[in-house]
Amino acid sequence: MSAALVEGTAEAIAAAVRSGAVSAREIAQETLNRIEARNGALGAFTEVTAKRALAKADAIDTARVRGENLGPLAGAPFAVKNLFDVEGLTTRAGSKINRDHPPAKADATMITRLEAAGGVLVGALNMGEYAYDFTGRNVHDGPSRNPHDLGHMTGGSSGGSAAAVAGGLVPIALGSDTNGSIRVPSSFCGLFGLKPTYGRLSRVGTFPFVASLDHVGPLARSAGDLALSYDSMLGRDHGDSAQADRPAPAASPTLNDGIAGLRIARLGGYFARSADPSALSAVDTIAGALKADRVVELAQAEQARSAAYLITMVEGAALHFARLRERAQDFDPEVRDRLIAGTMVPGVWAAQAQKFRRQFRATTLALFRDVDILLAPATPCRAPRLEQTTFVLDGREMLVRPNLGLFTQPISFIGLPVVTAPVWTEGQKLPIGVQIIAAPWREDLALRVAWALERDGVVRAPVATLS
Amino acid sequence: MSANGFDPEAAVDAMAPLLGLTLTPESRAQTIVHLRIAAEQAERLLSVPLDDLAEPAPVFTA
Repeated sequence: MSAALVEGTAEAIAAAVRSGAVSAREIAQETLNRIEARNGALGAFTEVTAKRALAKADAIDTARVRGENLGPLAGAPFAVKNLFDVEGLTTRAGSKINRDHPPAKADATMITRLEAAGGVLVGALNMGEYAYDFTGRNVHDGPSRNPHDLGHMTGGSSGGSAAAVAGGLVPIALGSDTNGSIRVPSSFCGLFGLKPTYGRLSRVGTFPFVASLDHVGPLARSAGDLALSYDSMLGRDHGDSAQADRPAPAASPTLNDGIAGLRIARLGGYFARSADPSALSAVDTIAGALKADRVVELAQAEQARSAAYLITMVEGAALHFARLRERAQDFDPEVRDRLIAGTMVPGVWAAQAQKFRRQFRATTLALFRDVDILLAPATPCRAPRLEQTTFVLDGREMLVRPNLGLFTQPISFIGLPVVTAPVWTEGQKLPIGVQIIAAPWREDLALRVAWALERDGVVRAPVATLS
Repeated sequence: MSANGFDPEAAVDAMAPLLGLTLTPESRAQTIVHLRIAAEQAERLLSVPLDDLAEPAPVFTA
């Protein structure tokens, strides 16, 4: 089997499996071989579900012989951030403490749906402890490493998800995004990432972080694969109390509709400051390709980021309070001390943040009356080095870990859907991403724009060579 | 309302024992750093006037 097939898209793998050009077992075995060969360098997988993957692949091959419908992801491998429940595995959520939990009794809903579409789960992926992370560092499992330059961060907290996809181990991985944890690693590792609208995809069977901000979504090497996996995961799940009861149309049927008629603008103000020139240049590239000359302001974006920051501190601290009292020494110190600080945030700050949240939502929704898509940097810079703890933005030295989400936090604060698209610059080893932001429930528009850019060669997500 | 008068160091030393949290010297120092950042965020947030009738984002449905 050619490497090109497993380094290609899930869509292409599924087409090859459906046609009989290759068996699902061959794809699964080749994927397991690649994980074995490359994972040591990447730190992507924490558990490999080889037996399960081969059994699922064999079932797909048997179904094909019987002439059954194999599904849109037939035989396509995928993996999940290790905060997703995988039946028989302990859901560690990047922590040491949760390893004392019993194994999960059932798969997370998103895994069940991807497997129902023919996907083959091959394992669980490294992540920042309890998802309170933008770097991809993990003191317990070691860091995930950026496949395009192993001395640099993947970004986090879905760091293993990004390493696995950019490293060519799987075409699709699931992550979670509370403040940017899909979009930051997608930017640093040169991937397409989808953070859907808050309340769109079920979080049942995932370990939480900040209930009022938690989302799940896919990372992939193609906008087409984002759409395919997103479509497969849609649907009501009454177990998630935050999931919206509203129509959930598939995005794939309109993916090729192009950008004609879409009103596209770039965000100025806050989103044009505090950024390395590479971040702004990436937005220039995409805005230029889309002929988006208009610049609009998202009023009070800076305060939105602050409010998201405080809500995260308080809700995160509440979630982990008992563990902080009883097992403080078992946390990653970088995470623990942020959580402890969260226990001491005055309640009035958090309450004000939630009041401001509704006001900011109203202001932002008004903006979407005469614009369909907003463009903004995904990260303020390319991936920092792994050991880097501070960086300078706007002439001010800041901590890396809390500040890589400067541009993602105001957007997820009010649950807007975003596709991150990867931009490469001649002569640079590392990519940087741009957020393609749509109005609530319009994932289809963000995916359409990303796909148009990919089709025209403006953005791309190549597999790293690991040289 | 202002977060200007908030003293992270005093808050950590007063609240840790009240909350039943035991901090090592290293943890205390980092907690102060993070609480100081929180106070900066709060200062920015609290600069926005909010109407008394402003409804918080999460609304409980009975």
